[in-house]
This record gives sequence, C-alpha cells and structure tokens, in this order.
Amino acid sequence: MTSFIPENPVPIEARPTVFCLHALGSSAREFDGIAARLADDVDVVGLDLPGFGDLSAADGVTVDEMVAYVVRRIRSHGATRWMILGHSMGGKIASIVASRVLSGDAPLFGLAGVVLLAGSPPVPEPMDEERREQMLAWTDEGGLDDDAAREFVDANTGSPLPDDELRAALTDLRRTSREAWRAWLQRGSREDWSEQVGTLDVPVLIVSGGADGDLGPENQQRLNGAVYTRPRFLTLDGAGHLLPLERTDEVAEAIRAFWFGEAGRSPVIPTDWSRLVASPRVQPRTRGILARRALADNPRYKPRVLSARHIITLRAVAARVVPQQGVPIDLATRIDGELADGKGDGWRSKELPSDIEAYLIALDALDGLENLADAEQDDVLASLAADDGPGLGSMTQAAANAWFEDVRAALVRTWLAHPATMARIGFDGFANGSSGRDLFGYQLLAAGEREAWEPTLKESK
Amino acid sequence: MNLTGMRHYSDDEVVDVVVVGTGAGGAPLTATLAARGLSVVALEAGPNFDPVDYTGDETEAVEINWMSERISGGADPTAFGQNNSGRGVGGSMLHWGAFAPRPGEADIRLKRDSGLGEDWDVDYEELKGYLGQVEHFIGVSGPSDYPWDPGRSYRYPAPRRNASSDMMIRGCQAVGITATDAPAALVTHDHHQEEFGLRHACANCGNCHQGCRNSSKAGTDNTYLPLAVKAGAEIRAESMVHGIELDARGRVSAVVYRKDGVDRRQRCAQLVLSAGGVETPRLLLHTGIANSSGQVGRNFMVHGATQVWGRFDTDMRGHRGYPSSIISEDMMRPNDADFAGGYLIQSLGVMPLTYATTLTRGAGLWGQALVDAMDDYRYMAGVGINGECLPADRNRLELSDELDEFGIPKAVISFTAGPNEKALDKHATERMSAIVEAAGGKDLQVLARTAHTVGTARMGADRERNVVDPDGRSHDVPNLWISDNSTFASSLIANPAITIMAMSLRTADRMLAA
Repeated sequence: MTSFIPENPVPIEARPTVFCLHALGSSAREFDGIAARLADDVDVVGLDLPGFGDLSAADGVTVDEMVAYVVRRIRSHGATRWMILGHSMGGKIASIVASRVLSGDAPLFGLAGVVLLAGSPPVPEPMDEERREQMLAWTDEGGLDDDAAREFVDANTGSPLPDDELRAALTDLRRTSREAWRAWLQRGSREDWSEQVGTLDVPVLIVSGGADGDLGPENQQRLNGAVYTRPRFLTLDGAGHLLPLERTDEVAEAIRAFWFGEAGRSPVIPTDWSRLVASPRVQPRTRGILARRALADNPRYKPRVLSARHIITLRAVAARVVPQQGVPIDLATRIDGELADGKGDGWRSKELPSDIEAYLIALDALDGLENLADAEQDDVLASLAADDGPGLGSMTQAAANAWFEDVRAALVRTWLAHPATMARIGFDGFANGSSGRDLFGYQLLAAGEREAWEPTLKESK
Repeated sequence: MNLTGMRHYSDDEVVDVVVVGTGAGGAPLTATLAARGLSVVALEAGPNFDPVDYTGDETEAVEINWMSERISGGADPTAFGQNNSGRGVGGSMLHWGAFAPRPGEADIRLKRDSGLGEDWDVDYEELKGYLGQVEHFIGVSGPSDYPWDPGRSYRYPAPRRNASSDMMIRGCQAVGITATDAPAALVTHDHHQEEFGLRHACANCGNCHQGCRNSSKAGTDNTYLPLAVKAGAEIRAESMVHGIELDARGRVSAVVYRKDGVDRRQRCAQLVLSAGGVETPRLLLHTGIANSSGQVGRNFMVHGATQVWGRFDTDMRGHRGYPSSIISEDMMRPNDADFAGGYLIQSLGVMPLTYATTLTRGAGLWGQALVDAMDDYRYMAGVGINGECLPADRNRLELSDELDEFGIPKAVISFTAGPNEKALDKHATERMSAIVEAAGGKDLQVLARTAHTVGTARMGADRERNVVDPDGRSHDVPNLWISDNSTFASSLIANPAITIMAMSLRTADRMLAA
C-alpha cells in the first residue's frame, strides 16, 4: 500500500509569524520586547503603518489604505502560518485584515489567530470628544512636541514606563506624521467597519488593561467581543493602554499560551500549498472557504445538538474511521455543527429516524467506546456494518448499517474538505481559477504531467 | 442568469401556461411557447445564481443540488442529494455532467426486441429530429466520426482527453472494445449563444458537477431560458409549488406556491409539471390529481452506475479535465448478454469527496484502508457505466408521514435491483475490470452506485397503465402536461438530459397543436 505522509509531521513551517500593528503615535518598535521574549517560538514582525515610525505617509493614512498596505506587506513577507496582532489603532486594522483573509478577498492564506491589545473595534472607537479635540489641538501647528508627547504617554499608562521605553515612546510620538495622526483622530477612529467585518469565527485573544479608559475591559467585551465568536479575554490588572510596553512579559506569555493552546492547534498545511491558495489561481470565494476551514477547532466548543459525552464517543468513532496523525481535525464537533445547521446530505435510509435522532441513539449506544482497546473498538464498529447483529440501541441492525454508512461518509468528507488533507492526497483542483477568462483550468491532462504552478508532491511509489 | 428587463405577470392574471421547474424538461418548452406569443410563467423552487459565484468546493457546491431530505428504501436504496436533482434556475442542468449520448431506436423499443420492459409511444424519427435540434442549439461537442452512428456530426471538436481517457482507450483497444471521444454538451471553442452572450471554451477545470463558472457547459440558464425571457416569459425563482387548484370541470385553474414565506396563487390556463422524476410525482400524490390510473410514483427507475477503479503507477489525477470524455456503445446489446438492454461505458474523472463517499458507501471502506485509498487518490483511474433498468412494481415513490419545510410529505423512494439489473451489473463489472486491468490498473476497486431518477409518471396511450398520453398530456386533467424524465417509459441507456430536452420541444409543439 502506498501513502503520502509528510516525513516530519511537525515541519519547521509550523513556527508561526505574528504581524504586529502598532497604536496611534507608536511604531513597530513597540513590539521589540515581545519579539525578544517570543524568539524561541514565534517570529514577531512589527510593521510601521504609513505615517508612523520610519514610514512616510505616502502609502496612505486612511483605514482603507492602511489595510491595503498591511495586506501587501504580509503578502510580500510570504508567511503561510501566521497571526495578526493589533494594538489600539492597529486593532481595527487587524480585524479588517482578518475579515478580508477569511472572506478570501485578500490574496493571503494561513491566518491562524488574532491578538488584540486594547484594540480599537471595527465600530467607531469610543473616545471622549474633549480628549479627541485636545489631541488634535496638539497638531494644529505641526507635529507633536515634547510636552504633548509626555502628556499622551502619561494619560495612557497605568504606571510609569522604564526610562528606555519612555524615551523610545516619546521619540515615536514626535516623529509621527501630522497627517497620519489627524487622519486617525478625525476619520479612521470614527469609521464604522462593522458591516464589512461581520462576525469572525477565528481564534482571538483580547487583552485589555484594567486601568485603561475607553478601550478597557468593558468595552472590549462589548465591542470586540461582539465581532469574534470565540474570544479569549485577558485583563491585566492595573495596566493602562500601552500594554506591549507596560506589561511586556505578560503579553508575550499570553501570546505563547494562545498559540500553543488554541490558534496553533491545527494540521499544518505545506508552505507551497498555502502559497497556492493565496495565489490568483484560487477564486476568492473558494479561498475564503478554505481559510475558514483551516482554522483551529475551538477547544471550548459547546456542542449544539450532541452532548459533551456524545462528542467524546463520536471522536472515538472518528479516530477509528479516519485515523489522523499529528494534531487532528476535530471531525466530531464539525459534524455537530453541520447537524445543528440542518446540513444533511439530502437523503436518508428508510431504516433510520431523522439524522439528529439517529446520532443521539447511536452515540448513546456506543457510549464508552473510547475506553476500549483499538482492536476492540474496531470490532464494535465492524459489527455495525455486519448483515446480522443486535442493532444499535433502539435501532435495528439494518438501521445500524445505514447509520454507520452515513457517519463514515460524513467523517471522511469532513476530513477531506480540510486543505491540509487536500495537500496530503495531492489534490490541487481548488486552484483552477475564477470564471470566464480567469477560469484557468488545466492545460496538461495526461498521466504523469504536472504544470509549473502545481505544488510538488513526494513520489510515494 | 441575467433576468434584467424580464417581463412580469401578476398572480391574478390568467397566464396561458405555468411551468413548474426550469431544468431540461421545463426550459425548452418555456422558450418555445413564449416565442409563439403565449404568456408563460416558469416557477423555480431554487434561487437564481450567477455562475461566476459558483465554487468548486464540493462541500459548499451543494447549494445547486436539491438537498431537501428524501427517504430511500428497498434493498438497494438510491442516493439523492448531490447524486441527483438540482435546485435553482436551470434545475439539474446546473450540476449535470454534460455527458450527452443519444438514445438509439433500440433504446425505446426494448419490449419489442426483448419482450421485457416497456416501449415508448413515440416515433423515433420524430424524437431524433428534436434531438438534433437540441444538440445543435445548446452546442454539443463530440467526435467527427461516431462509430455506432455513421454520419452523425457535432458542432465542435470533442473535449480534450485526460489521463483516465487515455487509460480507457488503451484498455478498450487491448480487449477489443471500440471506444472514442464522448459527445459532451459543452463548447470546446468560444461560442456566442443567442440572447445569452459569450460562452467560453471549456477550460478543463473538472468542476462540471459543482456548476460551470464560464458557461462552457450547456445548461438551460445559458441556452433556452435567455431565449424564453427575451420572448416575454417570466422566470420566478424561489417559488416552491405545493398546491394545484382545479375548477368545477376538473381543469387546473391555478397553482399555489410559497415565495418569501408567503403562499401565493398563480392563475393559469394550462399547467406543465417539469419538476423531475421525484418532485413531479410527489406534487401529484400530494395534491391527489391526475392519478386515476394509480400509476403516479410507480415504475421508478435508476441507472446502474457501477464503477471500476484501478491504481496506476503514475499520477492520473482525474480531477483534471472534462470528467467523462470517452464513451463506448459496444455494450448497447452485448452478444453474450443474459439480460435485456445494455449499458454505456464511460471514462471517469472524480473529485475527492465524491470518490471517498463512493468508496465508503459503495465499497464499505473505513479505517486505515479508507485513508490509504484516499492517499492513492491521485493514482486512480476508472470507468463506469450507465445501465438499463427495467420498470418494476416494487420500485416506486410514495409519500411518507413526515412533512418537509413546505408542509409537503417527504418522498419515500424504494428501489431493489431485479435479476436483470444484477445480471447486467455482473456483465458490466467483468467487462470494466478487463478494460482497467488491460490498461495497467492494479488492485481493482468495484464501487456500486446508481444515478438518475426516471419513470414515475409514465407516458403511453393506455390510460389504465400510464399517467400521461403520448403527447405528454394527463389522461385525467386535460390542461395538465408533464415534461420531464418522469414520463420515460423505459430508462434508456443514454443519460437522460438530451432526451428530456428533446421531449420538451416535442411537448411544446403538441401543446401548440392542441
């Protein structure tokens, strides 16, 4: 028997990159401390946004232009397994970029998680109007002066920054372009992007400072919590708004735990396959479908039609029907979601009750399957496919046959729908283009022929 | 499809004709009647799609299939969902495979020749004329020399061969079976379609069953329906018909349909049901009309569609290219047959989820064997059949006690293969295995499946045994017609779409003549 299995189940590509978007008046430099602390596990790439840090405002200072700039930078970086982090202003940009990746509209692939540090939400940022006016007044004549910069830092920290951090923060504020500063305060922070962003079913870590003002814990729950369907919240007591500078250790540790505990818990998709999904050969809608499917399963998933016990039993069935190596796709919770959404396959055997009822009866009857040895589990499942047998719970043997056939089909289909499985079996048919002249299809159709754009496959014969 | 500028009719207006369904059965007739000046409203249960939005992703592409649950019984329950009916403006032709063989005269004279099954009350030469019209208008591509019908010609060259095509040709040559490029209802050159616009040449993308994104594949949405709209017909999407009203004389006066959650009533002078082999009889049984014969839902037939796959030493990657580009008609009536009828053989391309579903449902694979089989996906190539099915009393469509989301009882469809189907399947499995082995395939995998749904409202002169007369008109209700695969008296060996369209044109002419 032949198989195509990666030689190293956790190759080096599994190391993630986190692209970091800074706050108003700051720069990529604010993430230097986090980068140093995560160096063993994560590549931290801070990006200056247009008009901040070393970057001129020429690339455009509106939210829309900053989003486009970030998409270009991530694309040219080439990361294929990455998170995006946004601090304050950068949070709004991060959420918008994430939404474009998950819809497939951005030519990117591999987003695994979002980190928001006192992040500005997609809706207009809550901001005291007097404070807004004051911050604008600082730039009536030109850029920020030293006094304004000091006042800004004081107002945004829970406790004094170390001297070197303070000096760097002041430098960043003073070199912020007036254009970029005012664009955010007058326009960007006020824009409502909630409709474009919608709700995002991506792992997200939402960190706030307990002593922060408008972007503190309550508004994070209320505003960013409404955007993300599976948020993890972390409040750093006593911290103000400048979290990467004030609480570098804790923020770094939270990111590490978030990656290893949630965002990174998905099968690895080989780099060349991920780049293919990001390329123009993949229709945006299809890219979005694959992007959402590639996200890590939610470790805190609340079953919708099955019980927690049923999920454990179904996971045991899944592990025998479709054995997976490495971090498995949680086929059981994905099937629970499909059952809850009423997504059947259009028919069922006359022997069976409704789809949900059949699962409930079958999984009740198989309760405890996970406690048996593998071979015994296989015996139990094989008995479901046998012509003669006692049935399953209140279901006849014919119904047991039919249910086991249904669950096998559902499991293998769910497994194959994941882009990591498509890569495993060498299926690149999702990369056949969009429509009309951009429906690229295939030019080489004969046995053994491959086109130049196709990812490499290990010869397994 | 683009419905800009379409004429609209009010529910209260007594339109000349209401057509239920916009697929192969409904659309050609809608276009023909509208072109002759009749006011026609075609009601479609599904939405109106823009082909550029289709996704090749198999899981999401089910949006173009009829996914409302059907219940399947008998010893050989047939799979529905993705395997059969479509839903949306264009019907099943949104997802069909475009495999477009023609039925031969023997196909509709099975009983005359074998004493088994049923003959069609249809003149073959007349049918053939309509078939030619359909093929020319929708743009069928095929070989310049068709071995089993000398003189037949197609508008464009056949689709390109892929790895399974080369394999089938090689295997057939080795075992002495004639095989050639298959007729396919797609355009292999850029093609300007009347009232539609540009249909791009097939790009060999392999996504026929997920919806054609460049309109290369013929559907009704890029052929007959644009003609119909131009001629003044209305296509009313997301309108699920669940009632038929009769007047005091027993004639249809209106249909009741639900749109946007509201029940509405479209009045009409004539009604045509073109909802397909399952939905047409379900609606008739639900409304209780046109069934004095008791034959509605009877004689349900499916095509045997067994596949034989082999593993090859090189990458075959059968998701590339038009999926079924080679045909053999040599087994139309095999010399050594111990059964009536015969079968077509075709080369197979397949998408991974569909293949895995057939592996686990059709061959019972699970566990490491299933994973290993999918790891071999790229080395696999196969051939499949479309085989005769005889009408049988045990195979029928009935209503269940369960209601669907519209309050219509769900369909229960029972199918059990009989001795003829089993003998045919055995013969075909042996022949296919020989072909795949001769081509170099190893570790053969035989996957059982069935396809298509025909015969549930049979056409024929005898009103005791048939639902509609040879014109397609109900024996009971004079202004009710049926135009779809439910009227087929025998299953045919040819895949049904081209014949459904040809019969639709014929029914339109009969309606105009009536």
